[in-house]
Amino acid sequence: MAQVELRQVRKTYPNGAEAIFGVDMQIADGELIVFVGPSGCGKSTLLRMVAGLESVTSGEISIGDRVINDVSPSQRDVAMVFQNYALYPHMTVRGNMSYGLKNRKMPADEIERRIVDAAKMLKIDQFLDRQPNQLSGGQRQRVAMGRAIVRNPQVFLFDEPLSNLDAKLRVQMRIEIKKLQRSMNVTSIYVTHDQTEAMTLADRLAVINEGQVEQMGAPMELYSNPRTLFVASFIGAPQINLIPVTFDGTHLVNGDIKLAGYSRLPTDAPLVLGVRPDVLSLRDDGQFPVSVDLVEQHGGENLIYGSLAGAHSDTGESQEICLKAGQELLPDMDDRLTLGFNPDESFVFRADTGERLK
Amino acid sequence: MTRPALRRVCTHAILLAGIVFLVGPVLLMMSSSTQPTSDLVTEGLKFWPGRHGPENFRTVLTLQAGFTDQITAADMLRNSLIVASGIAGATTLLSLLAAYGLVWFRLRLAGAFLWITLATLLLPLESRFITTFQVTSALGLINTYTGMILPAVMVAVGTLFFRQLFLSFPGEYLEAARLDGAGPWRFFSDFILPLSRERGGAIFVVSFMIGWNQYLWPLLISTDESHYTLVRGIRLIGQESGPGMALVVLTILPPLLLVIIFQRWFLRALSDQKESF
Repeated sequence: MAQVELRQVRKTYPNGAEAIFGVDMQIADGELIVFVGPSGCGKSTLLRMVAGLESVTSGEISIGDRVINDVSPSQRDVAMVFQNYALYPHMTVRGNMSYGLKNRKMPADEIERRIVDAAKMLKIDQFLDRQPNQLSGGQRQRVAMGRAIVRNPQVFLFDEPLSNLDAKLRVQMRIEIKKLQRSMNVTSIYVTHDQTEAMTLADRLAVINEGQVEQMGAPMELYSNPRTLFVASFIGAPQINLIPVTFDGTHLVNGDIKLAGYSRLPTDAPLVLGVRPDVLSLRDDGQFPVSVDLVEQHGGENLIYGSLAGAHSDTGESQEICLKAGQELLPDMDDRLTLGFNPDESFVFRADTGERLK
Repeated sequence: MTRPALRRVCTHAILLAGIVFLVGPVLLMMSSSTQPTSDLVTEGLKFWPGRHGPENFRTVLTLQAGFTDQITAADMLRNSLIVASGIAGATTLLSLLAAYGLVWFRLRLAGAFLWITLATLLLPLESRFITTFQVTSALGLINTYTGMILPAVMVAVGTLFFRQLFLSFPGEYLEAARLDGAGPWRFFSDFILPLSRERGGAIFVVSFMIGWNQYLWPLLISTDESHYTLVRGIRLIGQESGPGMALVVLTILPPLLLVIIFQRWFLRALSDQKESF
C-alpha cells in the first residue's frame, strides 16, 4: 500500500530563498492528487521533493511506512513524467523504457514482457525501435508515460506532462491519463497550472499559493466552497466575478449598487463579493444592471462580458462582469441586461487577508 | 544580366578564387613530388606531374637521415602519429572529464575553475617555452613522447566546446537518469559519452591536426634524432628535392585522411545544429 504523507515539509534554498512553508498532506493509496497553482508557487518544487530531486530542508515525507527524506531518487520507488519528456535521445523507445529496469538488474525476459504490455496499453508498440526524434509530440509523451509505467512504481509523479502538446491532444491525453491511473490504481501526484486539467483529473486538488497549501479537497468542493479569495479566483473557468464592496450594516455597497441579503459582516474592512458566472441569470428584479461589451460564443454556451453600471472596480474603472448563458441569449453590444443571483450562492471575502466570511 | 544572376556569378568567382588559393599549393606540391630532383633545382616547382613519383616515394621511405643517419621517414611517421594521437587523445579525454565535472556537479568554485582553465588560452605554449622547458626537463621528460605531448594538450578549448554542448542538454536528462538508477559513472558512460561522440570526434580531429603540425615544441624537446617528427624531418631531406617533396606529401596525408573519414561528425559538431530532443 502506498499512501504518501507530507509532514511539515519545508524547503529553503541555500541562498536563503524560501520555497515551501510547512506543507502537511496525506494522500491515500490509489488517489490522484493534483497540485495546482500559478507559476512559481512551489508546486513543482514540492513534487520534486517527493521525487528526491530536491532535498527536504525540514519535515518528513513518507511513502507507505517508509520515511524517504534521505533515500536516493531511484530507491524511492517513484516514476516521473517530465514536461519536456526528457526522453534519452540516443536510445530507442525500447531502450528508453528498459534503461531503468536494466539498472535494477531485472531479468531480460521480464523487461521485455513489461515493455510489450506497456507499449500495447499506450498504443506505441509499433514504435519500439524508433528513436525519440522520429516521433511526434504526442507519441513522445506516450513513451515518457511508458517509461514510468514499466517501472511499476508505488507512486507516479507528473510534472506538467501535457503542457507541450496542442490543445486537442492535451484533452485526449488528459482523458487517457485519468483512465490509465484508474485502471492501474497507482497513487499519483500531478502538477499543473491549468485549472481545467486540475478540475477534470483530480480525485482531490491541492491549491498551492506562495509555498503553502491554500486548500485541499475534491474539485467540486473547492469550486462550491472555496476557503479563500485565491482559491475562488483560481478554480473555475470562466473566472469568478470579483466585485469590491463594503458592508454598511445591512447591504453590500459599491457605488449605486446595493445588495440585500447579507448580515454579520465587518463594516470597517474592504470586502470582495464573489459571484460565479453560472450563478448569474437574467431577472427583471435582478441586482446587477449590466451593459454588454462582448459576447463569446463557445457553441453550447455563450459568455457575455459587460460592465456593471453604477459600480467601480478597485482601480476606479468600470467593473467587469461575466455571465455564462445558453446559446439562445445573444445580446448586441451596449444592450442593457439585468442580472440577478441568489445571495446564498455568492461568497464574501475580506479583501486584505483573502479570508472567506460568507 | 539580371541582378540575381550577376550575384551568383560573382559568388562563384569568389569561391573559385578561394579554391585556387587553397588547393593550388597542394597541387603544386603533389605534382612536384613526382619530378626528378635535378628538374626541381634548375626549374623550380612544377604544376604538372612528372615520371619520378614512385622513385621519389621509395627513396624517401627508406632514406636514412640525420647527423647519425639513424632516422627514417617511417620512424618519423610513427613518431608523428604517437605525438599527434597522444595530444588528441589527452585533449579529448581530459576536456571531456573537465567539462563533465564543471557542468553536471554542484561545485562551489566551478566558475573559477572554468576561468582559470580558459585563462591558459591567454598564454599559448610559444609564450612560455622557457619555463615549460625547465619544468619538462626537471621532470626528466626531455626526449620522451610524454614530454612532447603533455605541454601541447589543449584542455581549455576542448573544455569550452564540451561545456557548451552539455549546457544545451536539458537538465531533465540527469534527473530522469537518476530516477532510473544511474549514478555519476553510469550517467557518464550511458549518456555523456554517446551524446558527445560527434563533438568529441571533432575535437579529436582538430587537436590531432594541431598536434601533427607542431614544430617548435618538438624541436626544443627532442634533441635525440630518434624522436624527430615528420614536420621536423622535412628539413633533413630538403624541400627542393624530389624525395623532399614526396615527404611533404606524406606529411599531409594522415590529417587529410582523418578529416575525410570524420567529415560528417566534424561538420555536424562544428555547425552546432540543435538536435530535436
